[in-house]
Amino acid sequence: MRHRVTRRSFLVATAGASAALALGVDRAPAQKKAASLRLWILKTYVEPTNKAIEASAQRWAQKNGGAVTVEYFTFEDMQTKYVAAIENKNTPDVGQLETSAPARFAGMGQLLDLTSFSRQIEGQVGKLPANVAPISLVGGKTYAIPWYIMAAFWYVWRDVLDKHKVKLPTTFAEAKKAAEAVNRPKDNFYGMGQSWNRTADGYGVMQSLMYSTGVGWATREGKYRSIKTPAMQNVMRWATDIYKEGLQPPDTLTWTGSGNNENFIAKNIAQTSNGPSITYALENAVAKATDAADRKKKEEALANHLALPHPGGPDGRRMWAIAMSFGIFKNSKDPEAAMSLVAHLLSPEETLTVMRDSYGQFAPVLDKARAASQEYFNKNENYRTFGKAAEWFVPTGWPGPVTAAAAEVQASNVLTDAPAKVIVDKWSVDQAIDWEDKKIKEIYGSLGA
Amino acid sequence: MKRGDTGAAALFLLPLLVLVVGLIAYPFGRAIWLSLTDKLVGYPERFVGLRNYEYLLRDDTFHEVVRNTLVFTAGSLALKTLTGLAMALVLNAVWRGRNVFRGLFLLPWITSTVIVALTWRWMFDAFPGRGFFNSVLIDAGLLRRPIAFMADPAGAMFAVIVANWWRGFPFFGVCYLAGMQAIPPQLYDAASVDGAGAWKRFRYVTLPGLRHVMIVTLVLSFILTINDFNIIYVMTRGGPGTATQVFATYSYEVAFNQLRWGRGVTISIFLVPVLVAAIALVSRYLLRERE
Repeated sequence: MRHRVTRRSFLVATAGASAALALGVDRAPAQKKAASLRLWILKTYVEPTNKAIEASAQRWAQKNGGAVTVEYFTFEDMQTKYVAAIENKNTPDVGQLETSAPARFAGMGQLLDLTSFSRQIEGQVGKLPANVAPISLVGGKTYAIPWYIMAAFWYVWRDVLDKHKVKLPTTFAEAKKAAEAVNRPKDNFYGMGQSWNRTADGYGVMQSLMYSTGVGWATREGKYRSIKTPAMQNVMRWATDIYKEGLQPPDTLTWTGSGNNENFIAKNIAQTSNGPSITYALENAVAKATDAADRKKKEEALANHLALPHPGGPDGRRMWAIAMSFGIFKNSKDPEAAMSLVAHLLSPEETLTVMRDSYGQFAPVLDKARAASQEYFNKNENYRTFGKAAEWFVPTGWPGPVTAAAAEVQASNVLTDAPAKVIVDKWSVDQAIDWEDKKIKEIYGSLGA
Repeated sequence: MKRGDTGAAALFLLPLLVLVVGLIAYPFGRAIWLSLTDKLVGYPERFVGLRNYEYLLRDDTFHEVVRNTLVFTAGSLALKTLTGLAMALVLNAVWRGRNVFRGLFLLPWITSTVIVALTWRWMFDAFPGRGFFNSVLIDAGLLRRPIAFMADPAGAMFAVIVANWWRGFPFFGVCYLAGMQAIPPQLYDAASVDGAGAWKRFRYVTLPGLRHVMIVTLVLSFILTINDFNIIYVMTRGGPGTATQVFATYSYEVAFNQLRWGRGVTISIFLVPVLVAAIALVSRYLLRERE
């Protein structure tokens, strides 16, 4: 569904632009000559978002008489593409970077220092919330500017929970209790579906669980900290008890990225953690209904699915998420044009245009776009939750800064392999924590903070 | 040979030499060098001697990878040999439509590995109403709830072995069939005259006659299977946990996700002595056959 620019958003954008001009705020560097840029963007499951970003880039090209070649990467080949490009010195001019990538790539000397550029365009595009800022900073310098957060939410079937008089879970402990209450394995219906696999559905939720329980493997300074603590024992127990107690389908551990979506949509499970692509699928299903009865069934499903804020823990609600930023690579032949393109894409007007085609999965980060997006996210209960993604966000390696070592802890899969060792190999909780802690210590030992 | 001939020969050999050095010697030498460095993606490499090898020898995940690779390779090869032999025996005994069947049997071998892996993943799927085996068993009233075949280490390993077997057995079958057809029929006639039954003819005529073909196919398939990446990556990604993590998938994970190229390459280098021995064995048999 393509949204038109509403009168209110147009007025907001116009007022913003007029104010910026009136106040003499620094604008993005003017782009002088025809530029040819390569832009790498993430291809998500929501095709209209991909197209909207591409269209936005082309609007910049048209306005500036330049050319932008948009190339896509997916969650699957993101690392492979960037690694190959870096080693072959064939990086794009501008690239979308996931949560940990700015720290990793800046450490390699691949990214341009955008400190003064980010200050220069702040008046135009808005400020970054303090909790999201760590993903853009390395050693006090800005190497990337976050655009949006693609967060996971706690999806539940409201009708199932209501039927069993279970209150909507707000913590991981409550989610497990809810799962126990609604679990009906005999009918192939399970209380939860949380896989500890090698995707963001696995390591992302594990980080949210750890951080919300107050467990971090790094200090505030980004140095190694042992996770051999009682709090981590609680984390590991929660992560493994949901399997041991039969609250999940037996094949949950084998799910790849789409397993939880499919099982939730098919109503085989009552709860799962996932991005708004579930809502996208359910909204689309209604649009594709074949007859009145089918439409009614699909509308009921749409109405009954609820995206709750990700569960919190004893230490609060801290949600790890995919935060996509723009970085400019040092190899860029035209950094000035690249900056102009980034400023264009980050502008509230362009951000909102892309967001409107995102089915809620694109939650703007910069404050101007966030303020302007309130109307869009006020569509219903689920969207109101989607709109708050940035508030709960914490980056990889909380409470410390994002470092190459923290990124490698996530990438090495130890966070999810540890519970798998308890579930599959029947290790004890303490054995698995010792193993995980040893691996993390080793990573920090070889890479440093 | 005249001096001019030597010059011409060297000139004609030059393109081949460039190809061998450029496509084999340099990448291999570079891989060996990288395994002796702490190369991280984006950073220049530093020589660290045998530190990567020492690390991997102490790494419990790598130990598991070695075990998994052996089980995966041995299991796949055993199944491929047995079914390949059965396929060749059947096709050898059938005259009508032999070529049609031979073509049909080759289908798994020519199908894209990713398609094969996705198909088998679907076959073993536990998603209600979707997985082939579970749907058949449930519809037949033999099961009430689906079995999660790939949720435990043994089941997951079995599933990837089956997929690899299915893809690879036609190659064995076709090679064995060619070998069987090269065995002189007089040998079977003589054995029959001596009172040998079907089993004895197979045991004392067919198997010895296939010896070289079997060794060559086994070793060639061993090289391909021990390096297999696609089937495992698509079906299990090395999971559950690290239960199906093998050399190729672990090497990929370490090199591309952890960005430790030096260590990632070292994982693959560990296989080199095994592969060199296998290649030497094949070459020896191929050369002997030629003589």
